[in-house]
Amino acid sequence: MNSITAKNGFIPERIADRIWDSIKSGLILVDGEGKIMLWNDWIAQHSGIPAEFALNHFLGSLFPEGLTASFKVALKNVLQYKLPIVLSNALHRSPLPLYPLPVTQHMQERLQQSIVITPIVTGEEKHLCLIQITDATLSINRERVLKSHSERLSQEAITDALTGAYNRRFFGERFTAEFGRAQRQNIPLSLIMLDVDYFKYYNDSYGHPAGDKVLISVARALKSQLNRPTDVVVRYGGEEFAVILPDSGSEGSQIVAERLRAAVSNLNIPHRESKIADRVTASVGIATCQPDTDCNMACFLETADTALYSAKHGGRNCVRHLLTSDCGRPCPPGTP
Amino acid sequence: MNPLSELQLDALTEIFNIGAGRAASSLSEIVGDEVKLSVPCVQLYQSTEINADILSLNSSRLGAVKQSFNGPFHADAMLLFTEDRALEIVHDIMNSQVGVEDVAEFEQEAMCELGNIILNACLSSMADMLDVTLNSSLPVYSVGTAEVVLRQIVSESPSLMLVLHIDLNIEKRHLQGYLVFLLSSSSLQKLLAHIDRFIAGI
Repeated sequence: MNSITAKNGFIPERIADRIWDSIKSGLILVDGEGKIMLWNDWIAQHSGIPAEFALNHFLGSLFPEGLTASFKVALKNVLQYKLPIVLSNALHRSPLPLYPLPVTQHMQERLQQSIVITPIVTGEEKHLCLIQITDATLSINRERVLKSHSERLSQEAITDALTGAYNRRFFGERFTAEFGRAQRQNIPLSLIMLDVDYFKYYNDSYGHPAGDKVLISVARALKSQLNRPTDVVVRYGGEEFAVILPDSGSEGSQIVAERLRAAVSNLNIPHRESKIADRVTASVGIATCQPDTDCNMACFLETADTALYSAKHGGRNCVRHLLTSDCGRPCPPGTP
Repeated sequence: MNPLSELQLDALTEIFNIGAGRAASSLSEIVGDEVKLSVPCVQLYQSTEINADILSLNSSRLGAVKQSFNGPFHADAMLLFTEDRALEIVHDIMNSQVGVEDVAEFEQEAMCELGNIILNACLSSMADMLDVTLNSSLPVYSVGTAEVVLRQIVSESPSLMLVLHIDLNIEKRHLQGYLVFLLSSSSLQKLLAHIDRFIAGI
């Protein structure tokens, strides 16, 4: 025990050396001229330069590629002003040629580093300077994982879990944004509402798992008919889907709507309880808001609903179109 | 408390503007573009007088980089700025470098470095001009609402605050902040004694 206790307040040198070498970050001590006085194991391993090679040499002379300008300035400033300096990873990345283990310099990217340089005040005239290097790679990777998780969660927050279509929350945001854009840019906007015919009977007859499969197939069929990335399919409620068609007028939206109706029918999913066909079909209502017409979002949604209602009452498996200006029902108050 | 004389204020403003010039040239090297930094004004307050209104830092989150230094006089030097504006600058700098990703954890470290550059420049200029040696701790970054950050400062403060207004122009962005020195009245007296000697030596 006695042999390792501090004598006169100093830790014996051989123990101090072991401490430096056990530390899991890089330690370099240089004197006032920049000559290396300490080169711990971590730095020896990550630089590929053993201590006996480094000691008493100048830091710059050890690395054939030299030191970065900012590192040299920092070192000079610490020695001159004796004030500690931070070289952040964000602004400097990899100032020193240090590599992940095992070191095979030509194959590898440099280690991401966070560096702190502190003056060491000795009682004597000479100034020393301690360079501490921490491997920032772990933190960066952790940050990346968190970021990709948060991206996945953001995506999940706007996706309908069953069908993979966008959900109602996304619809609210996107429809508001597209409505605002259409008003500002004076362009038409169309909204399709699509409802699977006699879906309740389908569920009752084939069971809910089968019903779920129908919804998944319908969502996929609808998506397959849309070419523009701005046209989005939303699961609006139970068996009801909505499609936002920016910059589409009456004619274009009716062509798309007819394609959607046909795509559902062409899935050829048998439906023995349907009163209008032998397969799963859908009714489609479209509302178009023309530029320069008086319209608000609530009124727009109401018009699309009215169009869908009229498709349902017009025999189902068909498309009905309405302009917001032709909507027979009184407009509900809403945002302009 | 003795208010500072006009001459003493002028001397302090000059010293800190030399520091600001040094900081600007270090920052320019990092940014790769011209950076302008100046200290238009220095004021002395009792720490109890300080609030968000006086510093016109209302209704925003503040970032603070702090270094404690000692020598013939000791003080806590603190750089205060509104967090969102400072973050914009950090993002600008990070984006101006090749292959830099947006890594939130390192924004704070970057803020620490920028604060460290400005604080060190001011401290070293003070050390040079007054011919003294100053030691300093490493910078610590903290962030919070203006109220919380200022309350913390006031509660630790040894009574006096030397407040420097800082104007930073960097890549077309403008940032106003404050460099605050918290010091006891005895440290202030020692600082002023050195200032007076400096004035006498001119």
